Amino acid sequence: MNFIDRLTTINRKIIYLVLAIVIVIPLIFPSPQKVRVMAPVEKLFNAVDTIHEDKALIINFEYDPQSQPEVEPMGLAVLRHAFKRRIKVLVMSLYVQPLGLAKSALDQVVGEINAESKSNPDSIIYGRDFVFLGWQPGFYIPILGMGESITNVYKTDYYGNKTDTLTLMKQTKNYNNVELLVSLAVSDIPIYWVAYAQNRFGLQVGAGVTAVSAGDFYPYYQSGQFTGLMVGMKGGAEYEELLATRLNIHKRRKAGETLSSITFAHLTIILLIVIGNVGFFIKRRKR
Amino acid sequence: MPSFDPWVWVSALLTLAIFSFLYKDNPFYKIAEHIFVGATNGYAVTFYWHNVLVPRLFNPLFQGHQLWYIIPLTIGILYFTRFIPKISWLVRIPIGITIGYFTGIAIPAGIEASIIKQVGGTLLTSENFARWNAGPLGIVWSIILFIGVLCVVSYFYFSKEHKGVLKVTSGIGIIFIMIGFGAAFGYTVMARVSLLIGRLQFLLGPWLGIIR
Repeated sequence: MNFIDRLTTINRKIIYLVLAIVIVIPLIFPSPQKVRVMAPVEKLFNAVDTIHEDKALIINFEYDPQSQPEVEPMGLAVLRHAFKRRIKVLVMSLYVQPLGLAKSALDQVVGEINAESKSNPDSIIYGRDFVFLGWQPGFYIPILGMGESITNVYKTDYYGNKTDTLTLMKQTKNYNNVELLVSLAVSDIPIYWVAYAQNRFGLQVGAGVTAVSAGDFYPYYQSGQFTGLMVGMKGGAEYEELLATRLNIHKRRKAGETLSSITFAHLTIILLIVIGNVGFFIKRRKR
Repeated sequence: MPSFDPWVWVSALLTLAIFSFLYKDNPFYKIAEHIFVGATNGYAVTFYWHNVLVPRLFNPLFQGHQLWYIIPLTIGILYFTRFIPKISWLVRIPIGITIGYFTGIAIPAGIEASIIKQVGGTLLTSENFARWNAGPLGIVWSIILFIGVLCVVSYFYFSKEHKGVLKVTSGIGIIFIMIGFGAAFGYTVMARVSLLIGRLQFLLGPWLGIIR
């Protein structure tokens, strides 16, 4: 087998090994990458940042363990932002799988803030500052029902408390009391929020989605149906950058610290595509 | 320092078992795959039993004596008639109800959100120019988008042979489609690499303690 043949028939196990090496080395020896914030993420950040104090933010967690590495950093970043700005937050899911991950993200961020707070007003208190609504079946039904009455749809929260007894829920009756919804999803759920909550009730919708599904969501951002959009690790890293530069929040950057690995992996794949194509064209010319 | 948490070890070993498929199919991969399928189904069945069927159907019906709940119960049971060949046709009833319900909900909302508003997004208006956040270049991007949409739609017009003007527009449409495929592939690479990074971070961090 000559050199050209070898170029077009590289064993896939070698490719896996090379990719693993180029990803692992930057993780062990991190080198900070400059993050350029793009307009879709900045718009989402600004929309969260300017929520009025008498309105709430709904964060819709719709990612599962398979996509956790990509979407969880966005969830942590939006929660940190909202709690830093003392924005009232409702957390909910339309699927079952994200519940545990939503609880984990909430516990982490609330724990971080309460560890640094010195008084009750400084702290993030359940029922006063945020509510974890949990899950309800039939995902069209909660979306439409919450436009009429949130406590009618979620009669009890994730922990079994009656929602109509919680202070925050007494102020947050329906979408009229909600300024923005951010859907962090791996599926089409953000589009359902646009179709059912925005069209019917005028709710502003932002989204954080996996990179693989970005193409499905950009048209909704371009048409103005999404207020802002975060895509993949890069989107999460941009939001983390904005938290650091504008709000001085310097927590672990779960998305930002992976950018070197992503960059090297992409360069490797570009190189492999070029090598494969060069080999292919040389072989074709010889024939 | 490696973790002493046995669940971290279980998770790490299952991750490695799944990764072993990259070498070739093997018993470790199969064990991990079967555990995943079994755990997922077990979780789903028990979750829906305790969170949907019992509180929303059985309790109101058998404890609250709200007899009209017999109607959804009967419709649901009809799904199982497909296992009895003689009356399997009855399964069409719940399927018909489900399709009718979801179609009724989805069509008006889908037309509004995914057609009318999307068409509005392609029009050459000052509002759309401004959305690009590109200053005067917003007009250029909007025109490119406008041409791209028309050309791609013309490519999918199959009632007339692609000759003359239609050949030109559909040819330009293919270019836009190929750029779209390229972008989608690039995003797919980023997504899959991100997931791999997530698992490697877990193996190197919580399991082996090499990274933070």
